[in-house]
Amino acid sequence: MLDDATLHALVTRALRRGGDFADVFCERRSAVSYRLQDGRVHEGSVAVTVGVGIRVVSGESAGYAYSDDLDLAALMEAADAASLISRAAPAGSARVADLSAVPIAASQYRDGHGPADAAAYVGLLARADRAARAFDPRVVAVNAHVTDEHQEVWIATSEGRLVNDRRPLVTLGVQVVASDGRERGSGYVGDGGRTSIAFFDTATPELLARDAARIAAVNVEAVPAPAGEMEMIVGAGGGGVLLHEAVGHGLEGDFNRRGTSLYSGRIGERVASELVTIFDDGNLPEERGSVNVDDEGVPGQHKVLVERGVLRGYMQDVLNGRLMGVESTGSGRRQSFRFLPQPRMCNTYMPNGESTFEEIVASTKRGILAKSFAGGQVEISKGDFVFMVGEGYLVENGKIAAPIKNATIVGNGPDAMTKVVAVAGDGRLARRHYTCGKAGQYVPVGVGMPSVKIASITVGGTGA
Amino acid sequence: MTVDEEGAVDAAQRAVAFARQAGADAAEATVSIARRFHAEARESALSKLEQSTGKALRVRVFAGSRKATLSTTDFTPEGVRDAIAQAVAAARLVADDEFAGLPERFVEDLPALDLYDPHVDRRPGDEKVADALALERLIRESDARISNSSGSHFNDASVITAIANSAGFAGAYASTRAGRSTGPIALDGEIRRTAHYGTAARRFAELEGLREVAACAARRTTELFGARKPPTMRCAVIFERDVAATILEDVFGALSASNVATGNSWLIDRVGSRIGSDAVTIVDDGRMPGKLGSSPFDGEGLPTRRTPVFERGVLKTFLYDTYYARKLGAHSTANSNGSGIGTNNFYLEAGKDSLEALIASTQRGVLVLDTIGFATEHASGTYSRGARGFLIENGERTYPVDEFTIAGSYAEMLAGIDGVASDLRFDAPVVSPSFRVTEMTVSGN
Repeated sequence: MLDDATLHALVTRALRRGGDFADVFCERRSAVSYRLQDGRVHEGSVAVTVGVGIRVVSGESAGYAYSDDLDLAALMEAADAASLISRAAPAGSARVADLSAVPIAASQYRDGHGPADAAAYVGLLARADRAARAFDPRVVAVNAHVTDEHQEVWIATSEGRLVNDRRPLVTLGVQVVASDGRERGSGYVGDGGRTSIAFFDTATPELLARDAARIAAVNVEAVPAPAGEMEMIVGAGGGGVLLHEAVGHGLEGDFNRRGTSLYSGRIGERVASELVTIFDDGNLPEERGSVNVDDEGVPGQHKVLVERGVLRGYMQDVLNGRLMGVESTGSGRRQSFRFLPQPRMCNTYMPNGESTFEEIVASTKRGILAKSFAGGQVEISKGDFVFMVGEGYLVENGKIAAPIKNATIVGNGPDAMTKVVAVAGDGRLARRHYTCGKAGQYVPVGVGMPSVKIASITVGGTGA
Repeated sequence: MTVDEEGAVDAAQRAVAFARQAGADAAEATVSIARRFHAEARESALSKLEQSTGKALRVRVFAGSRKATLSTTDFTPEGVRDAIAQAVAAARLVADDEFAGLPERFVEDLPALDLYDPHVDRRPGDEKVADALALERLIRESDARISNSSGSHFNDASVITAIANSAGFAGAYASTRAGRSTGPIALDGEIRRTAHYGTAARRFAELEGLREVAACAARRTTELFGARKPPTMRCAVIFERDVAATILEDVFGALSASNVATGNSWLIDRVGSRIGSDAVTIVDDGRMPGKLGSSPFDGEGLPTRRTPVFERGVLKTFLYDTYYARKLGAHSTANSNGSGIGTNNFYLEAGKDSLEALIASTQRGVLVLDTIGFATEHASGTYSRGARGFLIENGERTYPVDEFTIAGSYAEMLAGIDGVASDLRFDAPVVSPSFRVTEMTVSGN
């Protein structure tokens, strides 16, 4: 997007007031999407994002400015604005190295060939609509969308790295509302990943739509969720939201460098039951959270966060890693050129244990089974988290009973993870539709897990 | 119109002309140009300094009764032409939609709404940085137990919004906003407690003072020392105003005509019915001078207005843009935000009592100061959130509580509002006074 000489000039200009490090993030992204409502594809959209973000790091401080105008004068002005941080912070005097291109070793993406023929997208949505309506007569509305995005980034650093990455991302989402005339319920299912729309040849729109319709119908019949402390079974796949909220965010490098996370300073300590091992991985083929390189140009990695209950490591970006004396773990991600990078999760999951799902259900006297979550949130200082059940059931005397209405589960990270009493061998990654928000920035992520039992947690329903 | 506003209108009109040349029968373009500033301080140092000016162009193109949208940050003539050509091509491929099209009328006289404060634009960067640094110092001065923070912030923005369309409408306005916020952290034994507090306004002079912001954030952080789970019970729940506002946001979700039209609202078919108690009067008003949710026209150029949504508990109307109004047989309430349906100033009318009086008249309940959780399922209208606050017994706060949930349905909550406080203030587009719901389920231990 910009030539090497321009990139070098911008990094040099950014560091002219001093600083330890500077980088330039150039982005060109285009996305096409289509929406279906009331049985017809009623809207198409095109989104184009082009711009450059320039950062200067000086000690613990970062200066940032962006420009969506690629004119040299505008870019130099942005470099000047970013450099102002070095007036306010103790400034080092980094040398600017010559740029040399670092190639991507092996791509995690199954790259498509740019946007497909528009009729292909429209066809996927129409198939989802028909399948959902055919699944259950109680289906009253089907809303579906498909998005095909291509993001290309170029990152140049004062240390001389120049990295280029081209990231595809497709998403097909189906939301179904069902009603029996009195109660209404909805279900959402989405899938896709860093691949092309050929992905939906196997993960067909019919499969997704039927599952969304099934969940909507289940929610029509749902009884009020119970209230109080009880046992909980977290379902395989989508249950991984639990790891993301209860543990993952608390292990991001910025919170730990600043001492604001409850996991700060606890590497090597026991923070979970021995049954709990948690990985975060930027290198899983086609997953939403995978990155050949992160948004600071560092290759994606496999990280051990928790190993048999013991805290092993944090997720780091360049700035926080430097300040804590460790390397970046390839976790520096940003929503777009308008944002500073932050340490973020990629794909967070738990490997298999030795129990079976059937054993776990049979051992549960009174509790709930949360098969999927509609989302979650954590407050990283104290570690309290919530997640919202998307599809859930009562479990009574070792048997799965009635479906329950959407409820919020509340717990505390280390407390809940210490109460993990069984991990099954049915682990898998969830369908790929999760997006994580942090400090106003949204990035695609993946989650996964086997079925897990937590001995006691607070369920926020209204029933007995 | 200022020179900058004229420039933005010109850019929007050029995009409309490009769209017509590319074969669109009708088009509308929105240009926004935003200067943004953000300073974050931690302890005695500036930790982040971000300042930029960004542009965005959004175009809606219509080919007969088919539509497509385009958004781009690429303002080069080739970039705009290319993206518009793609959007026009996309519009030709979607289904006919008889409800698609530009509105029939547009704002004529721009009211003076006092949305722009030149002081926000002129204030030197060093003073803004000093605000963030001062908050870091003041939270520690407010309470010696404050030992850390997630950061103290000053931010502001100055935005020009311009809309032009092929029906001949062109309009622009400038607006500003500024904000201060902080997130202190204190150690309660081994537990890190934190809270967040901030102030925001269109005019710099209307911001709450640094000392007030710091003191409130520090109090919120330390007042929950020693918090424990409450018992599981049915009891009254008082929502403090900032939490109450999040419930209003959820109520708006069910009122949004796009959710109504797609089956995602528990209020479908309920217009004209009594939903809430007598205390529930909820208004959407885009014409309040100087407020954060005000604008002279909405995202389609329609004049904003005051829309009573609930009057003494009775649902009067959903909130519409032009498309969903046509689809559902109503008129737009000027709630287009360009890409969907949004609020103007959306609020519950204040009552007469103080929050303290509400607490004093509560036999047994919880005062909720903060909630976590989102992902509201508007179709069923069930409500369930993680919460923290105080247990109330015999009209007094007895002990702080956390790690519990509150649950019910929005219908039960609106019907159960039996007290509304007088503490309404407009520091966001969606705001609420504190209110009490007669009975909900609290789930603790």
